[in-house]
Amino acid sequence: MNTPLLSVENLKVRFPVKRGLPWKAAQYVHAVDDVSFDIQRGETLGLVGESGSGKTTTALAVAKLINSWEGVVKLNGTDFFSLDKESLRLERANIQFIFQDPYSSLNPRLTAERIVSEPLRQLKNLSKKELAESVDDIFDAVGLRPEQKKLFPHQFSGGQRQRIGIARAIISKPQLVICDEPVSALDVAVQAQILNLLRDLQKRFNLTYLFISHDLGVVQHMCDRIAVMYMGKIVEFSNRMELFNSPQHPYTQALLSAVPSVDRKRRERVQRIVLSGDPPDPLNPVPGCHFAARCPSVDESIGCLKKFPPLDTVSESHQVACYRFKR
Amino acid sequence: MNDSFRSQNKPALLKVQNLTIELTTRLGTAPVIDDVSFELHEGETLCFVGESGCGKSMTALALMGLLPEKVSRIASGSIEFNGVDVTQASADFLNQLRGNELSMIFQEPMTSLNPVFTVGEQIAEVLRHHQGVDKSTGVKLATQLLDQVKIPEAHRRVHSFPHELSGGQRQRVMIAMALACQPKLLIADEPTTALDVTVQAQIFDLLDELQKEHNTAIMLITHDMGVVAEMAERMVVMYAGRKIEEGPVDEVLQQPAHPYTRGLIACVPHLQAFMHEERVPLLEVPGVVPSLNQFGGNQCLFADRCDQVNERCLNNRPENKYTNQRSVACWYPTAEGVFL
Ligand SMILES: Nc1ncnc2c1ncn2[C@@H]1O[C@H](COP(=O)(O)OP(=O)(O)OP(=O)(O)O)[C@@H](O)[C@H]1O
Ligand SMILES: Nc1ncnc2c1ncn2[C@@H]1O[C@H](COP(=O)(O)OP(=O)(O)OP(=O)(O)O)[C@@H](O)[C@H]1O
Ligand code: SF4
Ligand SMILES: [Mg+2]
Ligand SMILES: [Mg+2]
Repeated sequence: MNTPLLSVENLKVRFPVKRGLPWKAAQYVHAVDDVSFDIQRGETLGLVGESGSGKTTTALAVAKLINSWEGVVKLNGTDFFSLDKESLRLERANIQFIFQDPYSSLNPRLTAERIVSEPLRQLKNLSKKELAESVDDIFDAVGLRPEQKKLFPHQFSGGQRQRIGIARAIISKPQLVICDEPVSALDVAVQAQILNLLRDLQKRFNLTYLFISHDLGVVQHMCDRIAVMYMGKIVEFSNRMELFNSPQHPYTQALLSAVPSVDRKRRERVQRIVLSGDPPDPLNPVPGCHFAARCPSVDESIGCLKKFPPLDTVSESHQVACYRFKR
Repeated sequence: MNDSFRSQNKPALLKVQNLTIELTTRLGTAPVIDDVSFELHEGETLCFVGESGCGKSMTALALMGLLPEKVSRIASGSIEFNGVDVTQASADFLNQLRGNELSMIFQEPMTSLNPVFTVGEQIAEVLRHHQGVDKSTGVKLATQLLDQVKIPEAHRRVHSFPHELSGGQRQRVMIAMALACQPKLLIADEPTTALDVTVQAQIFDLLDELQKEHNTAIMLITHDMGVVAEMAERMVVMYAGRKIEEGPVDEVLQQPAHPYTRGLIACVPHLQAFMHEERVPLLEVPGVVPSLNQFGGNQCLFADRCDQVNERCLNNRPENKYTNQRSVACWYPTAEGVFL
């Protein structure tokens, strides 16, 4: 098989926390706990999971915007973490972010044109004319009008601001675009505009997306493969069809069953699984499966409380980390 | 004439008629709620949907008698609760109503809980204020209420401060507080938007259960059509301060009459019973909700986003047409057979 665009191996990220008594050993939040995945060129990989499950932290660590505790991240086969400063700067430009909040992620004092062209200025020495042409092209591609180039962020609506964020992210033709909840702050009608735009741009420029969202309907529409995270771990990894039509992990099943749907057939077919209890304390991870405390099918005799289950193969493109699966 | 539906057998618990609320901002005065009528019966759930800024929260605040002072006023119309017009009621009467018969859950529980008191003390205070229960009895009752809303280890949690609880737990505390006095009407303004879907499912389950037990009427504000489908019997779609569609949920979702309702349903990638390999582009509703200073114009305020727009839409405000349980405000409604 050809090398994937991005490969992440055994990534771990821990955050030190001050809590309890000063003479006790430092405690860590295991925000990302031994996560591995690949992304192929031109595809969209989705990361889903509840708040605090480690989605954003994974993305930040992949782009080396935060330090990881352990693990390897390769872009085009080269180890990202071993690069010297200058090569890292250039390589990092190959990964761009689109953030959730189109309000706070744009510098209010810069014009739209200036914001959008920033990644190009950092990267290479382009002439004024080349720069202006790139900006014009990208404004056109994301559906902003040329006369809007001179406006400041507060003069745009939420959806337009997100278009500026998208233009900034793709102007330097990055290899990987990380979209962290790109439409969660937007109204549904504007959401549709932005989601259609992201898919159009992907086709047009052969973009690769790492797409984070807590909205499973959106994920279903946008992603080719999906990793489901729970408390820093990937508990299920699958192509889109199998994940949504036959989820295997008890958490994924509960998650999908909890999504309210307008489709009456779905409401009749999918039995709602209501989880009891709250997610466990990330500071005191349990030794076994992280989901065990809330799992409706937890079973001590198959090992749920001993060790985190390994990812098992369901099919060629579907894996699940659950002891119950083989039973 | 009365714009609302004819009452069913029992008189409505809540009857809002031709309510208009004016809001004054830097740009002038505009009807943030514009001639809105609807009814709600005991034990019923009515959902309000629409994009941001359409007046959903304002409607809720008006019912609670909590409209922002000075900048807003009830310009016309009435809000009858249990037969009493609350727009004419005294402050004392309203105060007595709130928390006893009428309760509200807000979107962000952290802003409505007091950070310096334990949740037990806060629930006890509500009970004291409205039912004259003393403090120690109040805390005992609070523990029971927390248990009822399924907070684990309620006897311990009752002494927690709000910041020591998770978002879902805080929202459950808010529900416990809203239910402390067994209200006849519970208004929930996007009670789960900040929560994970699995927690949302827990909260909705809880609301369902409590409604069945006490026959509470629920007015649920949401922007999620899936939530509407699962939770409500009837729905009202708001646009730019106006009620543009109303009807039984199943009917409206299957045959939306207003182009805006149709857009709201189709622009979202919903989970379906069976997923298909093929993904078609989402239907787009171009543009955005008009700003407040455009509210109130004598035209259809959706006109600049509508694919069916016509002369008439631009020069005349569409009246609400009523037929058999449904209502729409559009010159060219689409639900075939319903409004033709
Ligand atoms: N800078 C930080 N310092 C300490 N802990 C952190 C930091 N950033 C994240 N965490 C913790 O790491 C865990 C994972 O957080 P992360 O933001 O990655 O979650 P997420 O899946 O993106 O959640 P959300 O859906 O809420 O955005 C959480 O327990 C969070 O509290
Ligand atoms: N206190 C206030 N002062 C001035 N304007 C206000 C105030 N509260 C609301 N508005 C304006 O009134 C209009 C309706 O607001 P409302 O909060 O009812 O909308 P909503 O439908 O609840 O929206 P959302 O989905 O964002 O909660 C908006 O244009 C809003 O900006
Ligand atoms: S491993 Fe056990 S506890 Fe974890 S999800 Fe599977 S059955 Fe549940
Ligand atoms: Mg995040
Ligand atoms: Mg609101």
